[in-house]
Amino acid sequence: MGDKKKWFQLDLGLNKKQVVAGSCGCGKTSGGCGSHAPEPPKNEHTISAEEFDTAVEQELMEETMVGQTRKDGFQQVFDVKMDRRTAFRKLTASLLVGAGAVHTSCSVTAGEEAKEKAQIDWEEQFKGNYKLMTQEEKQATVDRLVRSYQLRKKENIKMSATDASKDVLFGYAFNISKCQGYMDCVSACVEENNQDRNSQMQYIRIHEMKDGEGFKFNEADDNYYHEVPAEGHFYMGTQCFHCDNPPCVNVCPVQATWREEDGLVVVDYDWCIGCRYCMAACPYDGRRFNWSKPEVPEDEINKNQHYLGNRLRKKGVMEKCTFCVQRSRAGKDPACVEACPTGARIFGNLLDPDSTIRWVLENKQVFRLKEDLGTEPKFWYFMD
Amino acid sequence: MGTFRAFRHMVKDSLDYITHGSKTYHIWMIFLTVIMLIGMYCYSIQLDEGLSVTGMTDRVSWGLYISNFTFLVGVAAAAVMLVMPTYVLKDIDFKQAVLIGEGLAVAALVMCLAFVVADMGGPSVLWHMIPGIGVFNFPNSMLAWDVIVLNGYLFINITIPLYILFRHYQGKEAQSKIYIPGSIISVLWAVAIHLVTAFLYQGLQARPFWNNALLGPRFLASAFAAGPALIILVLAAIRKFSEFKIEDKTISKIAMIVTVAAQINLIMLISELFKEFYAPTHHSESAYYLFFGLEGKSALLPWIWTSIPLNILATVLLTFHKLRNNFKVLYFCCFILFVAIWIEKGFGLIVPGFIPGPYGKIAEYTPTWIEIWVTLGIWAMGAFVFTMLAKTSIGIELGKLRYKKKKVLESETA
Amino acid sequence: MLRIVFSLVILCGMFSCKHKEGEYHSLKEKIVEEGKHYQDPGISSEAYMGDIKTVEITEGVRTFLIPERKSQIKSYACTECHSKSVEQLQKESWEQKDLWEHKAHWDIKVNHANENAMNCATCHNNNDMDNLHSLTGNTIDFNQSYQLCAQCHSAQFEDWKGGAHGKNIGGWAKPRAAMTCVNCHNPHEPQIASKWPARFNTEKVKERK
Repeated sequence: MGDKKKWFQLDLGLNKKQVVAGSCGCGKTSGGCGSHAPEPPKNEHTISAEEFDTAVEQELMEETMVGQTRKDGFQQVFDVKMDRRTAFRKLTASLLVGAGAVHTSCSVTAGEEAKEKAQIDWEEQFKGNYKLMTQEEKQATVDRLVRSYQLRKKENIKMSATDASKDVLFGYAFNISKCQGYMDCVSACVEENNQDRNSQMQYIRIHEMKDGEGFKFNEADDNYYHEVPAEGHFYMGTQCFHCDNPPCVNVCPVQATWREEDGLVVVDYDWCIGCRYCMAACPYDGRRFNWSKPEVPEDEINKNQHYLGNRLRKKGVMEKCTFCVQRSRAGKDPACVEACPTGARIFGNLLDPDSTIRWVLENKQVFRLKEDLGTEPKFWYFMD
Repeated sequence: MGTFRAFRHMVKDSLDYITHGSKTYHIWMIFLTVIMLIGMYCYSIQLDEGLSVTGMTDRVSWGLYISNFTFLVGVAAAAVMLVMPTYVLKDIDFKQAVLIGEGLAVAALVMCLAFVVADMGGPSVLWHMIPGIGVFNFPNSMLAWDVIVLNGYLFINITIPLYILFRHYQGKEAQSKIYIPGSIISVLWAVAIHLVTAFLYQGLQARPFWNNALLGPRFLASAFAAGPALIILVLAAIRKFSEFKIEDKTISKIAMIVTVAAQINLIMLISELFKEFYAPTHHSESAYYLFFGLEGKSALLPWIWTSIPLNILATVLLTFHKLRNNFKVLYFCCFILFVAIWIEKGFGLIVPGFIPGPYGKIAEYTPTWIEIWVTLGIWAMGAFVFTMLAKTSIGIELGKLRYKKKKVLESETA
Repeated sequence: MLRIVFSLVILCGMFSCKHKEGEYHSLKEKIVEEGKHYQDPGISSEAYMGDIKTVEITEGVRTFLIPERKSQIKSYACTECHSKSVEQLQKESWEQKDLWEHKAHWDIKVNHANENAMNCATCHNNNDMDNLHSLTGNTIDFNQSYQLCAQCHSAQFEDWKGGAHGKNIGGWAKPRAAMTCVNCHNPHEPQIASKWPARFNTEKVKERK
């Protein structure tokens, strides 16, 4: 029965006693089908659903207190076998196909769901740092997050854990003479990256500057409220520059933010402790903090996610532009590049000698902001 | 085994001792408890809603909590100014004050840690910082260093007095062989905690206001002024409210330390102001904001212009022997110096670091009431911890708390 | 004692050297060095190009895809209507209201450079409406209309070939596909009109006050 289960079940040490529910016409086991009563795991005498739930809760607590602290916490420290997670992954995969059935389940199943939810929450709370995880551990946490979302919201999301490819180093160029301040990039970014709508968090700022005055950021208006382009002004966008020598990464006390092999500076939202030291260290205003619980309306959530990218955040953690890691690692342009109606934004692989970004660097007069700080941003500005 | 039993008795006796006291003592403790409870309530709101209930924003991302943290690290470090003369230089005049000083350091460190925790966005994942089970960004992150040195200093400052008190509790002399090495380490360590805390800010190329070489030394100078100033005030209070004898000589000697440190601090302040205003670059804008306001934004003006005159006044008054030796003037000076440095090394340092922002934008910061109450709550906790520590150690030092003779014999035979 | 402490501190300092970036003096150097042994990472953008039909062009050393144009023109071939002179057509379509409203494009006004430099015949060939023609009278296919623009806008043309002007289709990875001039600019009125930005941050409006 073990391999045919449609959802994950805690091993409460009762499996031996458990009666196989038997398969019915629809091919499902234990619950969900409705053609016969499912057999609760420890239902030897008749108990009410509530009693059962509390009992399960208790068992779960015991299990988590005693067993889990040793087994599931801190995997990267105490090398732990991954059986449970592998089982999980298979289950999740099958669930992605037949998710609907689970949700029509009866109260007993709800108990199992609560159990599973608690199990996921527990494992999530005590998982390790993503940067140091093995490939399997990465996949396991992604699967848990997908499953957790499914349990909570009854909807499926797609989350990837794609790693950096060899021979890729992402770079970005911004054409100051092209940008007209339409803000389509900002709009696309917010939608793509599931940013908090309440606080109107935005990774990109467009600064409106006066012609002939040079780059006076302090006099620039990054919050204009009129038709664009305004006469006698030019526009300049800033965001995270994905420095090659990022000060934010150096200062993080727990290595919750780091530079990936392809040059992206990313944050493990679950490892971040919210000290905001990186924010103080960033010379480019590239980082944002979730001061309250981020809210995104259900129908606006971008369900194509990456663990290091646009997955839903919680309150009290840092986040930032990732060059849309969920898109860029798959070969797409970041949302801002795609949305820009003027072609002011150029994105590509710095290591590829034939890439457009390389052409720009070699043939245009490029510069970067605050180069004297030695941060080596991978974000260049140029003019026609 | 006997040592353990003695220790158990000491804990029990101390608990007994700190729960009994005069009416004033009880009122004081109840007052602190009420403030702590209000603080805890406000913190629970903050936990629930997130840090958005504070005045901090993406533009000014550190505020009152980190300001107080920075200042209190200095207070904690100041205990060393009493430890060094007593244990290392064998200057007996400080002996009475040193236990009080170390108790103050412990209380200040507890407050520091509480402020850091209050400032965290995710206190539930703070275990990520624990070496061994978490992942520590050592040695790259100055905050990682800070966590280590603060906890180490806390450990040292708990163990040394504990050892001495424990010996005295048993009616024995503390063996200098054991505590002197500890004291020497603590002297180095105290300088380290404050320097590392300064490096926390000094190492940020993004914030020119902090990124200056004088920050570390100035931290030390201001700490060695404000910390002993507080100790003087505390000793004055202890003199008044307990039978613990503190000689005038002790206080005068500490006052000397305060004076010298305040003078050095003032010289460094002048040097800093000269650099910022004689040849101002755009890196001086934060200083302009702090002292004169920028673009009509001037929230910090009343504070800094309270701090600077108080600082100067206190330093000048302390410089004259006659005035310094008049204890009324001394206490007044210590008080205003403490306030002045609290403003200057607190949000006079932290907030302008963020203003103007990386792109020259000026967004001001005003703490909310929740933030203020959490801060007060933590200060009350510090005072609470200190009162308990001081009461116990005074009790032991005065011989009111003693291990029973019979048991001493037992412990010695065992 | 002291010595041990100091040597520990110095040791820590030595180990605290940053990660491997030290190998290179600058990012530029790193890009050049690591790019020397570049091998295609095997990422493709092809799947994101959608249903756009493309044609491959080679300009200078660069070969890339641009959208095919003819199938996008509402009623290509042009000669299906343009069998007579433009004046004749105009007269006839006035009489057939339906044709005027739905098929013909009499609303086109040329607002491109000035009348001395440009009129319809600068690009369109009255004798061969299915093709365009260059200033010197050579035939240019509708699919290669960029060649027409490149006659005057040579700087932009260079940028476009290199990738500094215009927009990618699909993504950054190979194969490279780029919008051609007329995908963004209306050739009859190439100026892009001003408009209101896509969004504002009202929280920041408050902050500004």
